[in-house]
Amino acid sequence: MNLRILVFFVIGLLIFLLDIGFNAEQDSKDIYISDQELTSLLSAWQSQVGRPPSDEEIVNIINNFVQEEILYREALLLDLDQEDRIIKRRLAQKITFLKQETIPNDPSQEEIKKFFEKNKNNYFIPPTYSFSHHYFSKESNAKERAAEAFDEYQTNGAELTGDPFFLGKNFYQNSEDEIKKNFGALFFLAIKNLAINEWSGPHESVFGEHIILLKEITTGFYPPLEKVLLRVQQDYLSEAQEKAIAEYINEIRSQYRVIINPDYKF
Amino acid sequence: MTATPYDAYKYATGEAIKHPLGFDMKLREPLDFYAVTDHGFYMGMIENYADTSSEMSKKEWTKPMHNINRPENVNVESLGERADLFSSVLSQAIVQPYPYWHPKLWKAWFTNNIQVALKSFDYDVHKSAWADVANAAEEFNDPGNFTTFIGYEFTTSTEVEGGNLHRNVIFNSSNAPIRPWTRIDSLNPEDLWTWMDSLRDKGVDSLAMPHNSNGSNGQMFEVETFRGNPISIEYAEKRMRNEPVVEMTQVKGTSDTHPLLSPDDEWADFEIMDKRVGSRPPTYSMPQGGYVRDAYLRGLTLDWEGRGNPYKFGLIGSSDTHTGAGGFDEDNYWSKAGVLDGTDMGRGSVPLTQDRIDMLNQYADLYNQPISIQEIDGRTYADVGFDQWSASGLAVAWAEENTRDSIFQAFKRKETFATTGTRMALRFFAGFDMESIDLDSEDMVKNAYAKGVTMGADLFSQDNQTPQFLVWAQRDKLGAPLQRVQIIKGWVESASGTPKEQIYDVACSDGLLVDPVTNRCPDNGARVNISDCSISNDVGAGELKTIWTDPDFDPTIKAFYYVRVLENPTCRWSTWDSIKAGVTPRPDLHQTIQERAWSSPIWYIPESGELNIIPL
Repeated sequence: MNLRILVFFVIGLLIFLLDIGFNAEQDSKDIYISDQELTSLLSAWQSQVGRPPSDEEIVNIINNFVQEEILYREALLLDLDQEDRIIKRRLAQKITFLKQETIPNDPSQEEIKKFFEKNKNNYFIPPTYSFSHHYFSKESNAKERAAEAFDEYQTNGAELTGDPFFLGKNFYQNSEDEIKKNFGALFFLAIKNLAINEWSGPHESVFGEHIILLKEITTGFYPPLEKVLLRVQQDYLSEAQEKAIAEYINEIRSQYRVIINPDYKF
Repeated sequence: MTATPYDAYKYATGEAIKHPLGFDMKLREPLDFYAVTDHGFYMGMIENYADTSSEMSKKEWTKPMHNINRPENVNVESLGERADLFSSVLSQAIVQPYPYWHPKLWKAWFTNNIQVALKSFDYDVHKSAWADVANAAEEFNDPGNFTTFIGYEFTTSTEVEGGNLHRNVIFNSSNAPIRPWTRIDSLNPEDLWTWMDSLRDKGVDSLAMPHNSNGSNGQMFEVETFRGNPISIEYAEKRMRNEPVVEMTQVKGTSDTHPLLSPDDEWADFEIMDKRVGSRPPTYSMPQGGYVRDAYLRGLTLDWEGRGNPYKFGLIGSSDTHTGAGGFDEDNYWSKAGVLDGTDMGRGSVPLTQDRIDMLNQYADLYNQPISIQEIDGRTYADVGFDQWSASGLAVAWAEENTRDSIFQAFKRKETFATTGTRMALRFFAGFDMESIDLDSEDMVKNAYAKGVTMGADLFSQDNQTPQFLVWAQRDKLGAPLQRVQIIKGWVESASGTPKEQIYDVACSDGLLVDPVTNRCPDNGARVNISDCSISNDVGAGELKTIWTDPDFDPTIKAFYYVRVLENPTCRWSTWDSIKAGVTPRPDLHQTIQERAWSSPIWYIPESGELNIIPL
């Protein structure tokens, strides 16, 4: 009985080896172009050129394909793919994609919610400031002119007017970052502490002096999940993908030994 | 590993990302719009990505085999790649398709056919590099806050002598084509334009932006076509339709003009990169036909000959680094290629230590290259051309809103300016009633739009009147103050067809007045202390504005006018490097630079001349 199993095993092995042998012959010198491959070649051409290829062009497309395939296989036989940085990088990229694909695309409500709670600060909507300003250029005694204009306005109710400013006069719902980017940190410090709906100044910035009317402050808040669901889902997914890749590398890495010449001078 | 398009966008929005050498790269201030444009032909190895259902995908990664030894690839950058010892350890560890017990690997061993193992590797992959570039752009595009463009680099060159003809292509929509048109399809930029025209017919608008014309060996702005035919009106129209803006400045030098082309321009010797892009060994690049001002003059000359003006483009700046992050500040700089020039010694600003010299010797042996070191004043420096690279540049567009379409339209109408990384702001208008505008009125810009044309536009003559130009420049709040505003004029003498250029200082800082004979501002006294890079903080302007009239105006001659704004001098990155390293700066390099901005030109077009207006 044991012998019988052995006989079947040997026969099975023979068939397997024969199959490999025949296939090997085919694999090495036959170029099989499937229907799908032809369709995709021709449709790619069409998408580039905007019309279907002529008979002559079809011959060319296939010839190019065959030529590329032959060169590719011959290159492989010469091991030209070995120690090639670009091929390595591309393969590494492909396996990264594969690992990313293993993440389920639709995480459960529960998971999303948990992720959202944990990373709430990422979705905080910062306070914004709406304001107008009159600008007095540093080039022509900004300080005096601004103080004078403001004084005229306060005592005589004169209309406030200043120099042109590159980004204009009125700013609607700008965040701290935007204000700092447009005017600098000094200007933001001033605006932060202003009373609402009251002209005030002069306040200094790197560009000169400003008389500012703060119109509205919206307080910062944490938006409910529904409002930022799409972003949270995307963030969840990209974090999960990064984690999957990191875990995969960690797991596999222990199987590898990195050997570096200890005497190498870095 | 190396930076992805996602990393590059994160960087643009102000996050820190890692340099391949491990340090953090972070922008001083975030950017408002950004396009990641990877080399298209690297991505070309993954043709037909949308067809992943087909068998085609398994051939995806074969293309680099064909490219790897093209001269384009055997360059400084790939040397950097090859020299990257550290990251290769990691990537080798991942390329292991199957565990040893897997039948497919056994099959591969039995048949001695490595394809079997690799074929099995070819799985149903839904993503590819191009799709990834597009996805990254889509993911980060946030109308009103941060705009991205799907784009790539058409990395072409002339067939002989390696004249760089690189273009960045960006799309004005989410409907990117199935794959980019690359140098594998054709080396001829005209074929790229044909492809872009055909896409435009299908509703997908795009534009191509030539870059690094300075390293094109004079080929970027040739007076004949790629195939050597004479330029025609059709060629000019096709080129302008697809290439309305050109890059003025980037990490590999600035392309305004060359001292040989503009001997009377005291500021012409600025961040000159005099080598052909990617040439090994480094080869001199011919200046004629490689610089923007020369191109404008060539355009006018071609126009004068009745062949159309293919060089009537606006100006932008860009980064073109390979680390995913552009360095725009002199004191926050890491050059371009990654590992090789990520250190001060690697980029030639600080003398090499003996072990680095030995290492370079080893590379030279290994890759059969000449040893790249040079002796200067008894000290040894790396000699790989990185010392000519710059912390530059940025593109600025006057757009109604921060959205893809609005910025794209600004590019198309050339309402753009370029800077060397400084966040300067610049307005430029021309008209025949500019004098009536009050420069100190809060409605100044509104009035200027109403009464004239702005940067990038044509000004048509009106009864032989003399136009006035309105310029307004504001400093970068974190940079140096402004020193002067200049207007650069070019024209072709109508009788002889001789191209001419003239530079006028039009506004000076510190209340100084332009000398009417020399057309120059007096020295404002701004200086740099080379021992610590501090600058004079009591001179220079926060903003400069003026209305200017061309004293040599001839109403019958076509001319272009563009603005150049100069900051007070500051330390160049190489000087910062030497200070940080505690050594004296390399004596043969410029120790200071004047950061600057250039507007797109305004073209004056007389009615009397045979009108040849390109509708853009």
